[in-house]
Amino acid sequence: MAYKRSIDAFEFYNRAKTGEKCTQDDWDLMHIPMKAMELKQKYGLDFKGEFVPTDSDMIEKLFKAGFDMLLEAGIFVTDTNRIVRYTEDEIWDAIRNPMPEFQLGTGRDAVTMRRRTIGDKRGPLIQGGPTGSPVSEDIFYELHMSYALEKEVDTIVNGVMMTVRGYPPVPKTPFEILAAKTETRLIKQAAAVAGRPGMAV
Amino acid sequence: MLPSDSHEVSQLNELKIDLEAISVIAHYHGNSDIIMDEQMPIYGGYAGGLEETAIIDVASSINAFVMSGASWHLDGPVHIRWGSTNTRETLAVAGWASAAITNHTEFMQGNQYYPCAGPCTEMCFLELAAQAITDSASGREILSGVAAAKGVVTDKTTGMEARMMGEVARSAAGVDIAEINKILDKLVASYEKDYGNAPAGKTFQECYDIKTITPTDEHVKVYEGARKKLEGFGLVFK
Repeated sequence: MAYKRSIDAFEFYNRAKTGEKCTQDDWDLMHIPMKAMELKQKYGLDFKGEFVPTDSDMIEKLFKAGFDMLLEAGIFVTDTNRIVRYTEDEIWDAIRNPMPEFQLGTGRDAVTMRRRTIGDKRGPLIQGGPTGSPVSEDIFYELHMSYALEKEVDTIVNGVMMTVRGYPPVPKTPFEILAAKTETRLIKQAAAVAGRPGMAV
Repeated sequence: MLPSDSHEVSQLNELKIDLEAISVIAHYHGNSDIIMDEQMPIYGGYAGGLEETAIIDVASSINAFVMSGASWHLDGPVHIRWGSTNTRETLAVAGWASAAITNHTEFMQGNQYYPCAGPCTEMCFLELAAQAITDSASGREILSGVAAAKGVVTDKTTGMEARMMGEVARSAAGVDIAEINKILDKLVASYEKDYGNAPAGKTFQECYDIKTITPTDEHVKVYEGARKKLEGFGLVFK
C-alpha cells in the first residue's frame, strides 16, 4: 500500500502516542532477542569467521534480515511504552531518497562526504577527537588542537568537559548548557588557531 | 554551531528511542542542519551473538534515515564484556553491517573507536588500526575517534591516535578483501589475549608538550614501532 507521506519527526511522534503497548522488559528481553534469532535462522546467516565479507549473497541476506527486523519489530519509545512501526513502503521511501553527497565545514577547510564502496580505492574521511571521552577543563582547548593540527584529520569530534567554570555539568542544569556551548566554542577556536577556522565539528 | 557541522542524535539500545530525541530531530530539520544519527549495538547484549547483533546493526542503520532523516549514521558495535569496538566479534559485526548497507543503499556511514589500551601504547595503535582497516575496506565514508582507554579515563586521548586511524584507513583502501581478512586475522590475534590487562597508557599532558601541542619523542617512537608491526602483518602504508 502506498504511504500517505514520508516519515518525519512529527509523524513518528504521533505514532509514539498511539502504537501498540509493550513493557520495556518485554521489548529488551523477549522481542529483540527472539526476532533477531528468528531472522538469523530464516536467512541462514553465517559469517564464517570473515571480518569483511566476500560473499555477496550472504551480504544481501544480512541486509534483508536487518530490513525485516526494522519492519517487523519497529522502534520502542521509552516515554510512552509504545511501539512505532513503519510500512515496507515507508522504509523504502527513506532508502530511495538519501541525502546526496554533502559538505562538512566551510571555506577551504570544508570536506565532502562522498559515497564509498566495498574495497574502494579512495580512503574515508577522518573525524578526529576524543569521541565523548572525559577531558579536563584546563586542557580542553589544547587537547582538541592536537587533532586540528593533524593533516590526516578532516573534522573534529568532541570530548566532554568534566567541569565548566569549576562546576560539574550536571544534566538538566544551566551548567550543562554552558558546558555544551563552551565545548563547541573552544574547539572552533582551537581549529582556528591551528589554521583551520572552517573545520567542521 | 553551523548547519555544516554534524549535529548528533542518539538511538537507544536496541531499536529504542526517547521523545526528547525526536524533538531534537525536529529542531535540526528546522535549521537544515547536517544530522549525525548515532547508535552502538551491543555484542552479547539484548540481541545476543554475532549475526543477531549484525541484524540489529543493519536495522538501526536503516532507522537512522527513516526516523531521523539523518545525513549520516555513526555506528559503533561494542563488546559487552570488554567495552571495546576493536574485538574480533565487534569488528565482524561492523564489517558485515557496513557491507550490507553499502551494497544495498546509498546511505553514508561512520564508525567510532573504543580501544582497550590507553594512548602512547603499541596495543592502542594496533587495536585502532584493526578497526580502521575493517571500516575502510567495508566501505564506510567516515571514521570517528579515537576514544582510547575505552573512552572512560579523563585526558586519555590524543591527536596521534587519529593520525594512525587516517594513515591506516588510506593504506587499506583498495586492498583485496581476502588479503584484508588475512591481515586482520593476524593483527587481532596479536592483541586479543590482552583485553583484561591492557596497558593504561599516558594522559595527554604526559605524552604531549601542551605549550607547543607536540607529541613527546616517546610517543612518536611508540607510533613508529606500531607502524612497523603493522607492516609485518602485511599492511603497505601509502
